Amino acid sequence: MIEIKGIGTEQFSSPNLNTAKPLDRAALAIRLTLLVLAVTTIYALLTINANGIDMPKAILDTLSTLRTIFFQPYSYHFTVWQGFWEIVITLGLAFLTTLFGGVIALFLGLMAAQNLAPKWLTNVIKSVVAFIRAVPSILWVLIFAVAAGLGSTAAVIGLTFHSVAYLTKAYSESFEDLDRSVIEALMATGANWWQVVFQAVIPSSATYLLSWTFLRFEINFSNAVAMGAAAGAAGIGFDLFMASEFYFNLHEVGLVTYFILAFAIILEVLATNMKSRLMKQA
Amino acid sequence: MALLELKNVTKHYNGIAPALDDVSFSVNEGEFVSIIGSSGSGKTTLLRCINRMVEATSGEIAFGGIVVSRLGKMELRQVRTKIGMIFQQFNLVDRMSVIENVLHGRLGHKSTLAGVLGIYTREERWQALRIIQMLGLDQQVYQRCDQLSGGQKQRVGIARALVQNPKLILCDEPIASLDPSSAKTIMDHLRSICTELGVTLIISLHQVDVALKYTDRIIGLNRGIVVFDGPPGELTSQRSAEIYAKEPKDVNIDLGERNAS
Repeated sequence: MIEIKGIGTEQFSSPNLNTAKPLDRAALAIRLTLLVLAVTTIYALLTINANGIDMPKAILDTLSTLRTIFFQPYSYHFTVWQGFWEIVITLGLAFLTTLFGGVIALFLGLMAAQNLAPKWLTNVIKSVVAFIRAVPSILWVLIFAVAAGLGSTAAVIGLTFHSVAYLTKAYSESFEDLDRSVIEALMATGANWWQVVFQAVIPSSATYLLSWTFLRFEINFSNAVAMGAAAGAAGIGFDLFMASEFYFNLHEVGLVTYFILAFAIILEVLATNMKSRLMKQA
Repeated sequence: MALLELKNVTKHYNGIAPALDDVSFSVNEGEFVSIIGSSGSGKTTLLRCINRMVEATSGEIAFGGIVVSRLGKMELRQVRTKIGMIFQQFNLVDRMSVIENVLHGRLGHKSTLAGVLGIYTREERWQALRIIQMLGLDQQVYQRCDQLSGGQKQRVGIARALVQNPKLILCDEPIASLDPSSAKTIMDHLRSICTELGVTLIISLHQVDVALKYTDRIIGLNRGIVVFDGPPGELTSQRSAEIYAKEPKDVNIDLGERNAS
């Protein structure tokens, strides 16, 4: 061991650690906020209106429900293969909406990137897209359901709509990462806009584009489950809806949850794998 | 015969002092011309006005008898295919290989679709490989550009310009971010491109000694005004001091420099 006593500890330590971070305005604001939150939380818990519910019993019941769901998954209304097939339908919904969304967003993203398009155009597209994103996917599906009727058509259109908005923002920001000077260099050789886009901009941002698309695919998968339940689009979400709202069958709810969980994990693993392979390649 | 002719070229960015003030000169075919001057004297602006990466405010620029300033989009692309450009920051697509970056120089000669899909003819690939070999990059042909050193990147930049079969190459401070030995390699290559391939070069430089050693003719810029134009032999230390003079009496200096950079 090397003797390092006396170097550092005494010479360099601050005289008083408590004053290391002085109580300035920002620190005061944070502390006050935390205090107010703590007080309101305690007040709310103390004065909560239980409405005659026996809290200890309610908690026990909830636990027993959770036990039924997660420890006794069983199905009365569909076989494992049917469940699998329903998941594939949900996956199809997610895939289709991501594909449509990705293709449309690629072009909108190019038009929304400040290094590729005139300023007025990027502003118009960015604000329209921001508006679409501000409304949740499920609302878009319900809006389109007015025209298309509840079902898979409305779900595809609604989810695509939101995917386009989401991916346009993500893509355009990936494109903007590329230095303007590289684009200028190719323009200076006499290349035109499309050539520059496909030879420099997209190859440079390909890994970003893919990871954003995978992320959106995962979001669309969980959205597709919700659409099955809420908008009557087919798939595993509809089985979940039937099991919980129609049959009140907690065993089935558990099974469906496990199905979805398993697929989500598989998707995650696949996506991570593909991404790392692409990163190595590109 | 003059390949390039500038007549009263003036460029105003939105400031009071012009970045280029009434610049006129002509460059003959096969000449190696350097433009020197302190930072913000308008060297980059001047180079960029020639292929209209920057639009001149007034004046006329003629390249090979064609007045560049009045060309439409399509004809401008045609002219640009004959003018190569090399940059201080190389401006390569880092994620692509050397050969792909070099072939980008051919894009202007291709149809939109072929360029978009990256379809190059056998001759184009062959020519690209020959140029890469000539510049001593044969070991790196399929390497990605972000794995190269600065000197190697600049040679890829030169190869991209050469594969265009240009009549003129504009070099915007090509050695400013290189170490001395890479800088020498690059300058040697540029010199031989001029001498052996007969390509005209216009290069902006910070180092007067490099300009004296390598180029046939020096143009000195000071705040957008040509203050010297002649062979290296005529550039005395007195004239060179004029090029880099700051003139503290003049109030407009600082403004002018800020706007030009």
